[in-house]
Amino acid sequence: MTDATTFAHPAGSRVRDADWLYTTTKRAMFYILVLTVVGLVGFPLLWMLISSFKTAAELYQSPPTFLPSQATIENYTELYWQSNFGFYLLNSIIVATATTVLALGIGSIAAYSLSRFDFAGLNAFAGLTLVCYMLPEVLIVIPLYSIVIWLGLADTLYALILTNTAMAMPLVLWFMRAYFRSVPRALEECAIIDGCTRFMAFRKVTLPLAVPGLVSVGMLCFNMAYNEYLFALIFTSTDTKKVLSVGLATWINQENIYSWGMLLAGAVQLTLFAMALYWIVQRSIAAGRLQGSLQGE
Amino acid sequence: MAAYNTNQPGDRLFAYLTLTPAAFLVVLLVLVPSIVVVVNSFQSVGLGATSGPFVGFDNYQNALADSTFFMALRNTFVWVFGSVAFEMLLGLGVALMLHRSFKGRGLARVIVLTPYLLPTIVAILVWRYMFNDLVGIVNALLLQTGIISRPILWLNSPDTAMMTVILVGTWKYTPFVVIAILGILQSIPQEQYEAATIDGASQWQQFWRITLPHILPVFLLTALLRTIWAFQKFDIIYILTGGGPLDATTTLPILIYLKAFVDFDVGRAAAVAVILMIMLLILIGSYALLIRRSEEKHD
Repeated sequence: MTDATTFAHPAGSRVRDADWLYTTTKRAMFYILVLTVVGLVGFPLLWMLISSFKTAAELYQSPPTFLPSQATIENYTELYWQSNFGFYLLNSIIVATATTVLALGIGSIAAYSLSRFDFAGLNAFAGLTLVCYMLPEVLIVIPLYSIVIWLGLADTLYALILTNTAMAMPLVLWFMRAYFRSVPRALEECAIIDGCTRFMAFRKVTLPLAVPGLVSVGMLCFNMAYNEYLFALIFTSTDTKKVLSVGLATWINQENIYSWGMLLAGAVQLTLFAMALYWIVQRSIAAGRLQGSLQGE
Repeated sequence: MAAYNTNQPGDRLFAYLTLTPAAFLVVLLVLVPSIVVVVNSFQSVGLGATSGPFVGFDNYQNALADSTFFMALRNTFVWVFGSVAFEMLLGLGVALMLHRSFKGRGLARVIVLTPYLLPTIVAILVWRYMFNDLVGIVNALLLQTGIISRPILWLNSPDTAMMTVILVGTWKYTPFVVIAILGILQSIPQEQYEAATIDGASQWQQFWRITLPHILPVFLLTALLRTIWAFQKFDIIYILTGGGPLDATTTLPILIYLKAFVDFDVGRAAAVAVILMIMLLILIGSYALLIRRSEEKHD
């Protein structure tokens, strides 16, 4: 970068110094910009963490203090002893995991068929699922409510698992179809020639090669189901059956019963949990890539 | 893709068999409800029922004569275009910033990405606490630094509620735009910039002539996706304000929810839902046209 600026000039080094000052100032301003952006984005998270260690009395102080004058972990303990937070967390994990497993299980093999075959109705079905994916939840939630009651699944986690799976299905189908198409057919053809059935070839040859794709879509499914609010709000009513998104949302509106402290403690834990999950997945994807390269692919 | 047919005898059965569960789920839980909603919009239906007496276009007429509907319509547009505009502009700026190499870039990227990875309820919770007019840190800081003399009511005032909601939405979803644009930025060959610098092009010219055309398709696609999702957004606004105060932040999705589950009027809710659906289709259609045109120009 400095090459273009160190040209021969009667003023010589004076020009170089002026340029140095210019570039350094620009650099400094850039760093200030970065710090501002990162600060603005990250401040709420920092604030959430700090506040979760304050006592209830201090949290309701106006004007608020910055650092806790008496740090305490009572918010975290109260969270589990005096509320249904534990249930919410468990329910969220159950729904998200079950949705992911079901969506991947049903969707991956269906996507495989979509990627390999051209029989009547297959492409039309794929197009249909795309349209379904564009439909807003608010549109279909009202009749779904009636369907859920009719199936006898009102106020159960099953309702949430099934509906979330159905909503995630188009994503899995399209993503994995594209992914399977990048896996050469020849591999499973060989297996079939060697005597495997189509299903065995899928399970033993194609599926293992598609694991990175499955992990990526799985992550998306898990995230979708974990964050889902509308269906959870409408299909569950008993407090112990609620998931995190609904349970905590109810608390926010009942400030006199649940303190901000407990809410913030819950929020911190959720954040850590989400971060841990992403970190684990990142690691496994990276490890998977490494393994692939070691096998000389 | 295959030039030859390598289907085995059992493949047809395999294909249909493996697609049945997926088809079953999607048809029963997504397609059928959608059709029922359209049918319901022409009937008078109560909550819990799936059908009712036929009333023609009554529900639609009722919706269009309702002032709450137009308020919701206006709020929806303000919410969607406000937050998407901010997200795209800020996202572009932040992406450009994070594209440069500097010390600590990795960490900066992780922190900037975090709001999007956070569970929605956490984001809402934290901001509601911060924007609380009495004990929130935002008012405290603004008062202490003298920027304002009286606390702003943020989420509790009809005048500032929508603005606050847009702010929270922008904070949460800008990282999505950043990731998308960063991805495409990294695919621009460096030689183009170097050649331009040698030819004496300014930073601005380089941005306008090299960067922008290169990222335009992804930029537009991201804007389209953000718009579609923003249109359907329910949880952020509902948990932040419940649609209030005084319907100041009631958007169409929230209106549909309220009509169905608070007014118990499924027929009218369905009519609003169908209107929302039509708007979405028009939106998707026009964006798709725009993207196709920009791609043609690029080639």
